Amino acid sequence: MANTKKTKKHMGIQAANRLSNTAVYIILILISIIWLIPFVCILLQSFRVESTYQVGYVIPRQWGLDNYLNLLNSDFKQWYINTFVIALFSAVFQTIIVLCMSYTLSRFRFKMRTFLMRFMLILGMFPGMLTMIILYRVLKDLGMTQANSVPGLILVYIASSGMGYYVSKGFFDTIPKSLDEAARVDGATRAQVLYKIILPLAKPIVIYTILTSFMAPWGDYVFARYVSMGTSSGMNVAVGMFGWLSQDQINSRYTMFCAGGVVVAIPVTILFLCLQKYYVEGVTGGAVKG
Amino acid sequence: MATVVLKNVKKIYGGKVVAVHDFNLDIADKEFIVFVGPSGCGKSTTLRMIAGLEDISEGTIEIDGVEVNDLQPKDRDIAMVFQNYALYPHMSVYDNIAFSLRLKKVPEDQVYEKVTNAAEILGITDYLLRKPRELSGGQRQRVAIGRAMVRNAKVFLMDEPLSNLDAKLRNQMRAEIILLRKKLDTTFIYVTHDQTEAMTLGDRIVIMKDGFIQQVGTPTEVFERPQNLFVAEFIGAPKMNIFKTQLVRDGNRFYVTPFGTKIEVDGEKGKMLAEKRVPTGEVTLGVRPEHIVLSGPGEHAIPCTLEVNEMMGSELHLHVYTEDETRIVVRVQTLNLSMEERNSLVAGAKLHITFEGKVMHFFDPTTEQNLLFG
Amino acid sequence: MAKYSDLEYLKLPKWKRFLYKIASFFTSIPGGIVNGVKAIGRFFKMVGLGIAHFFRDLVLTFVHGDWKTKISYVVMGFGNLARGQILRGLLFFLFEVVFIIYMIFTGSYWLSMLPSLGKTGPHEVYDVVLDTYTMVYGDNSFKILLYGVLTIFFIAAFCYTWYVNVKQNRIAEQILKSGKKLKSGKDDLRSLVDDQFHKTLLALPTIGITVFTVLPIVFMILVAFTNYDGTHDGYNNNLFHWVGLDNFNTMLGTGGDSSLSYATTFGEVLTWTLIWAFFATFTCYFLGMLVAMAINKKGIRFKKGFRTILVLTIAIPQFISLLYVSKMFAKNGIVNGMLMDIHLISEALPFWTEGTWARVMVILVNIWIGIPYLMLIATGILMNIPADLYESAKIDGASAWKQYTKITLPYMLFITGPYLLTSFTGNMNNFNVIYLLTTGLPTNPNLWSGATAVGYTDLLVTWLFNMTTGAESSYYMASVVGILIFIVVAVISLVVYGLLPSVRNEEDFQ
Repeated sequence: MANTKKTKKHMGIQAANRLSNTAVYIILILISIIWLIPFVCILLQSFRVESTYQVGYVIPRQWGLDNYLNLLNSDFKQWYINTFVIALFSAVFQTIIVLCMSYTLSRFRFKMRTFLMRFMLILGMFPGMLTMIILYRVLKDLGMTQANSVPGLILVYIASSGMGYYVSKGFFDTIPKSLDEAARVDGATRAQVLYKIILPLAKPIVIYTILTSFMAPWGDYVFARYVSMGTSSGMNVAVGMFGWLSQDQINSRYTMFCAGGVVVAIPVTILFLCLQKYYVEGVTGGAVKG
Repeated sequence: MATVVLKNVKKIYGGKVVAVHDFNLDIADKEFIVFVGPSGCGKSTTLRMIAGLEDISEGTIEIDGVEVNDLQPKDRDIAMVFQNYALYPHMSVYDNIAFSLRLKKVPEDQVYEKVTNAAEILGITDYLLRKPRELSGGQRQRVAIGRAMVRNAKVFLMDEPLSNLDAKLRNQMRAEIILLRKKLDTTFIYVTHDQTEAMTLGDRIVIMKDGFIQQVGTPTEVFERPQNLFVAEFIGAPKMNIFKTQLVRDGNRFYVTPFGTKIEVDGEKGKMLAEKRVPTGEVTLGVRPEHIVLSGPGEHAIPCTLEVNEMMGSELHLHVYTEDETRIVVRVQTLNLSMEERNSLVAGAKLHITFEGKVMHFFDPTTEQNLLFG
Repeated sequence: MAKYSDLEYLKLPKWKRFLYKIASFFTSIPGGIVNGVKAIGRFFKMVGLGIAHFFRDLVLTFVHGDWKTKISYVVMGFGNLARGQILRGLLFFLFEVVFIIYMIFTGSYWLSMLPSLGKTGPHEVYDVVLDTYTMVYGDNSFKILLYGVLTIFFIAAFCYTWYVNVKQNRIAEQILKSGKKLKSGKDDLRSLVDDQFHKTLLALPTIGITVFTVLPIVFMILVAFTNYDGTHDGYNNNLFHWVGLDNFNTMLGTGGDSSLSYATTFGEVLTWTLIWAFFATFTCYFLGMLVAMAINKKGIRFKKGFRTILVLTIAIPQFISLLYVSKMFAKNGIVNGMLMDIHLISEALPFWTEGTWARVMVILVNIWIGIPYLMLIATGILMNIPADLYESAKIDGASAWKQYTKITLPYMLFITGPYLLTSFTGNMNNFNVIYLLTTGLPTNPNLWSGATAVGYTDLLVTWLFNMTTGAESSYYMASVVGILIFIVVAVISLVVYGLLPSVRNEEDFQ
């Protein structure tokens, strides 16, 4: 008697588990569909050639690569190159600056340290947008706007990147300080400690920083628009393609926007998915502890 | 191989918190000195100041006659073993041990020789190509020691090197450190919170509390002549029994009167009380558990009740309480008891205990200083 | 509110404990504010003490110093040179020379113009040779303000360097007196990669931040006290001038038609900004956590696949995904088209054209964007919750819901408290999502801010941005809004920081 009861209950647990797992599966699949729809739509519409404006259906009636070929004959090429160059430079220099800043704040206890961190915290409370007006005027005086906006944008992205030290400092804080101390006792200078001990151990956060600083310029709209000021040859993809969706262009450029979006998204996404592991490590390790 | 001299060394954090007060110590060449004390007593801070990992707020530290206050750790010619080993996780055992040599630009063939030599001594030759995370705690500890060994440094610093090991391994490593010390023949400064390690390893022991040195002395000195109550209680396990009692004088004889008894302070201690003209009245009396014996009833015997009998193997720890509920620990050798006696030692048993004059320690009840050796 | 001792508290029934907790939360808010204010007070006290210390040092060093030190008060680096520290001495001396030359040739001009921001604007002058009027440009208010501020920075830097120079003399005297050797130039260089390595590492980042963040912010704060806008650009059309607190009066004053004033607009936009930030933060937070728990649930397969699908929204640049989604829901977009095709609706739904629709939509789309990020963070934390907590809860008989409310949620909230704060203030300034989705539209006819239209979904930042674009850009008002944003963010941060159970003691993490 007692025995049957026990088995019954046992099966009850299993059944309940199966039921709840099924529910979770349904929810997750629904979520996945919702998350994928926009990307599927954009991909399908980039192959639509029967019309160039927005339509109320998803599957193209006529398939073709016209939109992609049109990209080659537009300013898109220039925008793409601009963005790529900016992304490359800012990935290299932002990473260096962010690592310098975060390593120092994590490891050194110098007099101005707390002041510096509080000061940057306060600076961060000002909307960054505010500084655009003046930076634009200064860059203009230096001849780094409009057609020449690429070096200007690089400069601006790099210059203030030290403020974004939070995530990587959080990561450095998790590397035991006794490693530094052991190395210093072993005869290493502070600089040697950094590049012989800490950097090899900080690989995830280095890759995370490179990845995020490479990806940021692809999405920056505000500042890039300000600096390029309507000059097509100085735009990045975001600013240029934003124009394609304006009232007067959307009907002739909508499918091209989709194609451009695919061309921009594919390399960035592939890069991201390849390095996803490091990104997750950075976000979960650094962002929370920061 | 060098002397280490600390003169009026102080450590103050943030302008307020004093971690180490006025630390004065001369460490002789090739001496093995142990800093011991409860956590937060400033022992690690002192060691780290010697290593150059903490700034010295006041005072000076000299290694081999040279003031090192302003020198970086790498320029002090020291080697250090850290509590959590601090092995470089991305390097193999070989590279870990070779790290300091390579920084000194020692030729690779000499590096090879030194590293394999050290590995041989420590018995880690089989693991040279492994990464630290693939090693057990004890092996990591050996690597950490190996890394310090190859440096041939003037001073060898160890910061609680055994505290992360389990009890058995700790005993084994303790013995190996004694052997290592013989081989290296250099000055050792060793920090621990474990009095057993301190007693077994040190030529001299520095006992610290709240940033102050309580006593510096050989293991025998601190055990037999603790300068104050803290040292008396800290050294020795189980810890010393302490009772408040009256010291009375009857002619040339001194007596203590714990729990209504009257026990004579006979022998040397009695003479010393007279010589030092220790005033009679209230004193704090300390007696180590191993110096208390079971006895029959009498004027000199304290009646008490057995609460717990801990069988430790070769000895028994008897936790007893007196009529006024004072707890006392008594340590008896199992061998000295007959089977019958052992069987009678069950909870609730009524016992009588006593001790001799020569094992008594007298402390001032207010200053807690030793009245005979303070 | 009655305060209970620990033992009294334990005797209370459960609901009373709960009420008590809420009550103590609210009564601790003033304390939080006080703590915040105290922190500010301490900061100023620190600064004040620093300044006092500074002057005392200067006087004492002069009185007790030898002749080398005394000359160093005038000729920087003299003491270093005289004591054999050639490198340091030369650097100090060079800096002084550069500073003096700069001040004589340009610095003094910018400083002298700073109070007026320029006297002669652009005007026409009769050209005798050409017999026409030609445009002559006068002072440049923009440059005067910019270089004026820069010059003040430079002077401050000079004062500091001068102080360091004096201090070094005192230290050198002490070292020599105690019979030790001074550091040579070679030692100095070597220490830059060793004990002074932090200075090397910080040099570049701090210079960048000073020039490209601090200087612009100081400049823009000052702009709020001028009439700098599209028609007073300081050079090409009109000079701009100091106007005192006029702009703040315009922004916050209630004068004139109260329905069409800056003050009402600011109030409305601020309210929406806070509502938006609240929903954007907490919807993503809780839903992201739920998704993370679903994916990490025992027995669920394809964990990696689900995660990757979600993470796609992080990988794909936001301007593509957000712009595309915005067009999907447009009047003639796919969503409306399909809904009409299946005759669910006969007329396009006003996703972006109706105020309330648009507001709900931006929050919904933000969930789409935000969940993946939160999912990653929550996954990391969930995996770190010790499993034995759940095991002991199960043995104690806790249901799944109890486990969530008693273990998972408190743990998450404790660890992510600071993150929630930054995420909230970050969302207040979340330009990208709003601008790429709606550009702040649809326009709210009841709001007014000079030449700039204000929309239902406009946040303070997008409003600010719109004020800085176009021919009639009103930079001074944008600056005022910027300063107000700063104040709001700072107040929220101070209060929340004061309330957080343990204001993050960073050493705890090491």
